[in-house]
Amino acid sequence: MANVHKDFHGGLSYGLQFVEDRYGPEGLRDFLSGLADTVFKPLVEDLRVRGLPALRDHWQTIFELEDGDFELRMEGDTLVLDVRRCPAVSHMKEHGYAVADHYCEHTRIVNEAVCQAAGYACSVEYDQEAGRCVQRFWRAAP
Amino acid sequence: MISCTEFIWVYSELFRFLEDRGGEETVIELWQGISQDFLQNLRDCIAEDGLKGMHRYWSHTLGEEGGRHTMTLYDDMFVIDMHECPSARLVHRGGRVKPYPKYCEHCRWLYPPLIEQFGYEVDYYILDPEKGRCRLVVRKPPGANTPDA
Repeated sequence: MANVHKDFHGGLSYGLQFVEDRYGPEGLRDFLSGLADTVFKPLVEDLRVRGLPALRDHWQTIFELEDGDFELRMEGDTLVLDVRRCPAVSHMKEHGYAVADHYCEHTRIVNEAVCQAAGYACSVEYDQEAGRCVQRFWRAAP
Repeated sequence: MISCTEFIWVYSELFRFLEDRGGEETVIELWQGISQDFLQNLRDCIAEDGLKGMHRYWSHTLGEEGGRHTMTLYDDMFVIDMHECPSARLVHRGGRVKPYPKYCEHCRWLYPPLIEQFGYEVDYYILDPEKGRCRLVVRKPPGANTPDA
C-alpha cells in the first residue's frame, strides 16, 4: 500500500505556478513533457506493451488510492476516464491551498507526452473549478 | 492527474529543471517561496502551540508519508531524528529519476527560516542524503517569547 499524503497536490500546484510565472506556458510544457522520459517512463513502456489496459490499471490504482469519484469505461476502442470528483482539486480546496491558474493543464500535457511516446493519442475536457474532467485515450493512427 | 504518490519524483525533477533553466538560485527561490507562502498549516500549528504544534504537524505529515524516524518533545526542545526519510528513499532508491544531488537541501530552506520567525533556534543536519538520514533540532532560548504555553 503506497503512502498517501495529499498535501503534495498543493506542493505540485505551487511548483507549476512557479514554473509558469518564470518561464511561461512553454516552460511549463517543457517541464511536464519531460516527465514522460523519467517519472512516467514505466507507464510509457507498459502502455506500449499492454495497450490501454495499462492505462486503465494505472488510473484505477491511483484514483482508488486517492479516493476519487471516477468511472473507467470503454467506448468502442477508446478508454474513457470520467472524473466526477478530482481528489487533487478537492483536497486543495478543502484545505485552503492555492490552485495554480492552469493546474489541470498538467493532465493534458503529461497525458499527451505519455501517449505520444507509446503510440497513443488522448484528449481531456476539464472544469478546474468544479474538479471534474473527462479523459479519453486511443491508439494513434499509424 | 499526477498522483500524490508520484509527487516526490516530480519534485526532484522540478529542482533539476529549474537549476538547468535558472541556476541553483532559482531552485532556492522556489524553496523560499514554499516556506513563505505554502506552509501555512505548519505556521498555524506553531502559532497555536509552539513546540507541541511542531510535534503535531510532523506527526501528521510523517505519519502519512511513512519512513522511519523518532520525534522527541521536551519543554524547551523539539527534535526529529530521521533514520530513513520516505522522500529521500524514493528519490535515491526509487529508480525513477536521476536523483537531484541537493535534494535534501530543500528541507534546510523550507523549515528553519520559518521556525526561526517564532523566536526559536534551529539546527538542521543532513547526515546521509542517500540513506535519508537527517536531524532537525529546535530550541527555545531561555526567556524567549515563543508561542509555547
